[in-house]
Amino acid sequence: MTELSRIRNFSIIAHIDHGKSTLADRFIQICGGLSEREMAAQVLDSMDIERERGITIKAQSVTLYYTAQDGIEYKLNMIDTPGHVDFSYEVSRSLYACEGALLVVDAGQGVEAQSVANCYTAIEQGLEVVPVLNKIDLPQAEPERVAQEIEDIIGIDAMEAVRCSAKTGEGVVEVLEDLIRRIPPPTGDTDGPLQALIIDSWFDNYLGVVSLVRITQGTLRKGDKILIKSTGKAWGADSVGIFTPKLKETGILETGEVGFLVAGIKDIHGAPVGDTITHQKSADTPALPGFKKVQPQVYAGLFPVRSDDYDDFRDALEKLTLNDASLFYEPENSDALGFGFRCGFLGMLHMEIIQERLEREYDLDLITTAPTVIYEVVTKQGQTVQVDNPSRLPDVGSIEEMREPIVEANILVPQEHLGNVIALCEEKRGVQKNMLFLTSQVQLTYELPMSEVVLDFFDRIKSASRGFASLDYHFVRFQPANLVRLDVLINGDRIDALALIIHRDQAHYRGRALVEKMKELIPRQMFDIAIQAAIGNQVVSRQTVKALRKNVTAKCYGGDVSRKKKLLQKQKEGKKRMKQLGNVEVPQEAFLAVLKVDK
Amino acid sequence: MLPADTALPPLSLYIHVPWCVRKCPYCDFNSHARQGAIPEQDYLQALLEDLTPDLPLVAGRPIQTVFIGGGTPSLMSPGFYQQLFAALAGSLSFSADCEITLEANPGTVDEARFSGFRAAGINRLSLGIQSFDPEALRTLGRIHDDQAAHRAIEAARQAGFDNFNLDLMHGLPGQTPAAAVADLEAALSWQPPHLSWYQLTLEPNTEFYSRPPALPDDDLLWAIFAAGRERLTSAGFSAYEVSAWSLPGRESRHNLNYWTFGDYLALGAGAHGKLTVAGQTPFRYWKTRQPDAYLQRIGSRTAGREDIESGQLPLEFMMNALRLMQGVPECLFQQRTGLPLDQIGAILADLRTQQLLAPDRLQATPKGQRYLNSLLEAFL
Repeated sequence: MTELSRIRNFSIIAHIDHGKSTLADRFIQICGGLSEREMAAQVLDSMDIERERGITIKAQSVTLYYTAQDGIEYKLNMIDTPGHVDFSYEVSRSLYACEGALLVVDAGQGVEAQSVANCYTAIEQGLEVVPVLNKIDLPQAEPERVAQEIEDIIGIDAMEAVRCSAKTGEGVVEVLEDLIRRIPPPTGDTDGPLQALIIDSWFDNYLGVVSLVRITQGTLRKGDKILIKSTGKAWGADSVGIFTPKLKETGILETGEVGFLVAGIKDIHGAPVGDTITHQKSADTPALPGFKKVQPQVYAGLFPVRSDDYDDFRDALEKLTLNDASLFYEPENSDALGFGFRCGFLGMLHMEIIQERLEREYDLDLITTAPTVIYEVVTKQGQTVQVDNPSRLPDVGSIEEMREPIVEANILVPQEHLGNVIALCEEKRGVQKNMLFLTSQVQLTYELPMSEVVLDFFDRIKSASRGFASLDYHFVRFQPANLVRLDVLINGDRIDALALIIHRDQAHYRGRALVEKMKELIPRQMFDIAIQAAIGNQVVSRQTVKALRKNVTAKCYGGDVSRKKKLLQKQKEGKKRMKQLGNVEVPQEAFLAVLKVDK
Repeated sequence: MLPADTALPPLSLYIHVPWCVRKCPYCDFNSHARQGAIPEQDYLQALLEDLTPDLPLVAGRPIQTVFIGGGTPSLMSPGFYQQLFAALAGSLSFSADCEITLEANPGTVDEARFSGFRAAGINRLSLGIQSFDPEALRTLGRIHDDQAAHRAIEAARQAGFDNFNLDLMHGLPGQTPAAAVADLEAALSWQPPHLSWYQLTLEPNTEFYSRPPALPDDDLLWAIFAAGRERLTSAGFSAYEVSAWSLPGRESRHNLNYWTFGDYLALGAGAHGKLTVAGQTPFRYWKTRQPDAYLQRIGSRTAGREDIESGQLPLEFMMNALRLMQGVPECLFQQRTGLPLDQIGAILADLRTQQLLAPDRLQATPKGQRYLNSLLEAFL
């Protein structure tokens, strides 16, 4: 058995592009976790979409064996964490499995807001945070300044931070040495009854549910009768082992270790994230504190373009939730779009990824309605109702008060872009709470309506600062606001799937912009199409998509028939991704027009 | 499948000549620029070899019309056509009033040549004028200018061709309604019995498609069309098809046969044919495209053949028949396709409800004609 003193469990906290994956790849290479042939770039990001977008979504882990300069072989469990703000809850989960975290900061760009938030989480959870200054090979690297910034913002000693370049490999061994020296080994009663935390669970087509677990006490062996505390269900441990990052069965996981468990469970709800595993024979072992349940932040309706795809769509959602407990869905019926589902997402990126996976992996054509946050409505009867769908907003006459969710946003921005970022926050109805001038960045704290933040704020703040500003936010409270429902009418028919809840001050402007955008997106057809935005019965703007003048092929002779037939087929294909509302063909993009009006 | 006792459709013959002086940037036909002399004798030989295996498919059926298209068929000498028709007369029968049309490029002809064509049996010309505007002709990459266009028409008339068509395009880059009408005026001054007045479209696999010129927008195109329509109508012309205009009784019989879903034999590089044989599914077939390959092959030059499955027949029939302003009588559907009209009864009823189709003929309403491509989707 590996002595506890020779184990190190750690995560890497880093912003996107600060080199986390490259550094992880270097560690794996140095420790011989994979042969050269297997050393595909960025091995930890295994989902296709993760690779394409260069981001990590699910937590992953890898066990490495490293012989340090003291001659001792250490077992390093590296638990990878997602880098995007939508998935910050996964970070905190991963941190539960660790005694320490590497804070990797780009020595050219400096600290970013999300890393700061993750560091605070790590420190709160009692982890040792070890700063690393990466990308020192770049000419614009300023390790001294960035070290000072880490001290100023996060308040940890960074002067001694290792300087490295994951890209060239320089200093990477020193990072490993530093983490062994500074991150404490795990503790725990090796002889006590089994107590293990489920950090993550996912569904594998061949194995069923695979759980990433951290043993806090006792030993887990293959063949053990185990018990899931919250469900009270007993299972046989079919397979136990570590990630290399491929699954490698070892038959045993001991106190302080991180590895996988396969126990014939067919559904991830049978192995809930944050739950505790023990042995059936020691069923009264107390459960670990677990995690806060994650709440969706953004809701949207998803509808199949062809109504006969509904069953396939439901099956696909069921399968996706096998792997993504954060995806929420419930049936929704729209007058305009028929049967579909109201889905809850962690953020816009999460929504895009889910939609992309449904379309790509399950071959569905879907219409996504405008995303919305949850609002609180207090009725005249004194009831408080949560509304995640604008078309389900209670009748105006019965509303006493409407409240919108407010977030606190922390923004780090280089001084030269401060003006732009403040202007953006003001435009988004923000209230400044704090402003702190650091060595070269400014830390801004704003309270903003969540509805203004979740849609395109992240992209807008990036473009307002040439990509340099960074953002982290969290929900703080619901707050009364002057909100209205903006309806969209097509040829006089109110389309429930296009309704929005917005602030009254913006209603006219947004209504105008939305209708103009929709005019661009709806193709000309055989008749004029009137698009109107209205608040109650008051029309705030109107545009007309003029009828197509004609749609007829100029020439068709004897030799043209096959080619002209293909053109007709293509024309019809194009309409497959459109939804018929009355007799108007509306393309998918038009339902998300609201996302495009500010750009 | 057409029952054995149903009359077969009228039969036409399409002959393709694949060579051009230069390829025009908008042209997606099987045409190939050729430097140096055209191998007329070899091509003649190839055509005759190509035809022989197809003859049993049309045994006993007279040819009602012939169309020689290209490429630029007027590049071939009158002697070539004299020999060709002499040879064809030995293997095919031609009806007494057979319409024989030759496509001619104004840059390749003079009166003597036209007289020669006429002597060879050609009795109708289709002149590829495209425009009388010198600037537009340059944009279109034509080998002739406006003066050559006028000279060619004059030469055709001098040679005795009073049955001729002028091809004119509209919707040209930078064109105004006035400029389009001016083109029509120039054409009408020659008192043609027939005009093909069609909108320039960017077809795949053309130079214009990969480097599109700035074309008039939808509204301007409509204004051009409306102005031209008014001018042609006042000159006594009527559109009997989407782009085909003629004086009464001077329609192109050959093209009418396409649009009434008739049969046509294919001859020459890249030519397409469509035939109905009693007791069989109607089929399309096509010839080897590349001129050199066509010349080099031995025997039949057919490159492919495809049955028009019964699921496709209604669409193909309608793609043609509904192009005709007057449409066709309902009974023609069964005569040509062998399918009962009931098979598309529900689609027709729906289109009639939408007022895209006339009540008792297979005829698009004026609205249906404007949106013919949208209408046709119903048959896909």
